[in-house]
Amino acid sequence: MATGFFTDTTVCIGCKACEVACKEWNQLPDDGMSFTGMSLDNTAALSASTWRHVEFIERPMALSEQQTGLGQFSWLLMSDVCKHCKSAGCLENCPTGAIVRTEFDSVYVQPDICNGCGYCVVGCPFGVIDRREDDGRAWKCTLCYDRQKDGMEPACAKACPTDSIQFGDLDELRERARRRVDELHERGVEEAYLYGVDAADQPGTDGLNAFFLLVDKPEVYNLPPDPVAPRKYAAAGWSSVAAAGIALGLAAVAAVAGSGRR
Amino acid sequence: MTKESSRFADGRFIDPSVGVLSGEAADQKVPQDQDERAHSQGAAPLDLRDRPPEAPEDEGATYYDRPVLKEPVWLWAIPAYFYVGGLGGAAAVLGAAAQAGGASRRLVARCRWTTAAAVVVGTGLLIYDLGRRERFLNMLRVFRRTSPMSVGSWILAASGGAASSAAVLSGTDGLLGALGDFSGAGAGVLGMPLAGYTAILLSNSAVPAWKEAHKTLPFLFVASAINAGASLLEMTPLDEDEVRIVQRFGTSGRAAELLSGLLVEREVAANERTARAYKEGVAGSLWRGGEALGVISLVLGVLPSTGRLRRWASGITGSAAAATTKFAVFYAGKASARDPRTTFEAQRKTLAKR
Repeated sequence: MATGFFTDTTVCIGCKACEVACKEWNQLPDDGMSFTGMSLDNTAALSASTWRHVEFIERPMALSEQQTGLGQFSWLLMSDVCKHCKSAGCLENCPTGAIVRTEFDSVYVQPDICNGCGYCVVGCPFGVIDRREDDGRAWKCTLCYDRQKDGMEPACAKACPTDSIQFGDLDELRERARRRVDELHERGVEEAYLYGVDAADQPGTDGLNAFFLLVDKPEVYNLPPDPVAPRKYAAAGWSSVAAAGIALGLAAVAAVAGSGRR
Repeated sequence: MTKESSRFADGRFIDPSVGVLSGEAADQKVPQDQDERAHSQGAAPLDLRDRPPEAPEDEGATYYDRPVLKEPVWLWAIPAYFYVGGLGGAAAVLGAAAQAGGASRRLVARCRWTTAAAVVVGTGLLIYDLGRRERFLNMLRVFRRTSPMSVGSWILAASGGAASSAAVLSGTDGLLGALGDFSGAGAGVLGMPLAGYTAILLSNSAVPAWKEAHKTLPFLFVASAINAGASLLEMTPLDEDEVRIVQRFGTSGRAAELLSGLLVEREVAANERTARAYKEGVAGSLWRGGEALGVISLVLGVLPSTGRLRRWASGITGSAAAATTKFAVFYAGKASARDPRTTFEAQRKTLAKR
């Protein structure tokens, strides 16, 4: 069964319970305690040791139909995570076979195989997976592969108090997400839309197994507007490699042509 | 540090006498010091000084100017490998052509040895860059055609086998000599992709400066490989006929390198910010330096003299041009990945076209 996340950013309250639950369950180390000056976000980014990241966006504008007390202002909050793309750049780039697709359709890095080549890092159009220098291997969200094998939902979804992070069967999640967008539109929040819900919406990745409901441009949430798995433009590159290789052969033959000793 | 507090020093805050470390990331190695952990490369980079300067409002939204992409984690060893591996590929092709065209056996043997040595050095550089060097053999654990690194690992391994057996059998006659020639021909066939696959290794990524040059980058890399191979051979003792062969090969590579550099510039010019990655900073300086060295080596290479001084002058400048170009492309990619607006610019356009 294909499972995934539907993250409804409109009900996120920025409590970071998902970040904590993820760190605790997976026994991830902390990243040190630092202040970034980026609103209440002191996590900064997804990394090898941070697999959930709550973003805090302060906007000098209101949402449609929103009444604000202090002038024009709105918060956008979003819990970011690995998207477990249907066409996953990291998986397709992995030369060792360390990155695999599981029976739950998620993308999983096998730590005992990964040799830390770093090719997944450049393959991810979302900047999710990263190599930890001290450890030498690449790490990212596993969609709680261990919990799912025991029939449990991922730790972040379990801990989310507002159901901003919803886990379940992907077909059901998509249906629920579309209903939620309709509901928001009816209530006047016309800017609500789904990001990466399926292949039609995001052909570059063939859809995300962890998709989002957003109310502003993807860039505002640090999401790429049109992410594409590198495999999709590989054919043109390989054609050029072939043409250049043939040219190399011809250059060598031409250089040798007419050589004195035969 | 007391024994009590050291239990928690890895940032997991789990007392092993009460809790079991069995989670997915329980064996992720981290520095014991909290500050070091905050600044170690695997953790989220929090240093505000690394952030690009605030851009004016009209340049579009970003998330606190944070990069969207992760900067490539590769070190200097990777562009160094591009130079060495390319050199080996070009030498293998020249060696096979020389073998077929009846050029001197000394040149054929020298090409074979060059490729064999390049594969050994190149493999060393690649292993050096791995996070887990002891697992380098996992590169040949599977064959994944969607991964240019997997395809390239197999090409490199096969090239190494073919070129070294050809090199060892260079001086032999009869059956062994025929086997050597067979291996040499094989190395020549493998040399064609070996010289150029590193371009698609880079362009098969989300990094703007690399992916947006995916059509022309292979031509630049192969041309640069010819220049690198010819420049190295040029500096070895050669007779008149051999000089002529190497010089012709080198001149074609140097001219092609300059020309395909212009093609790469034209391809990335589609997006202003991506183009800037090749013009500014370390990458920009390297790029212009590579072009200048390329012009000098081209001119020196076509001078009528076959003397050692002339050959060393064009050999050194040619080698420097080939290496510099590969470092320039490498650092342009790193710079482009750091800037979120570079990532957004191109994608906004492709999205609008859909």
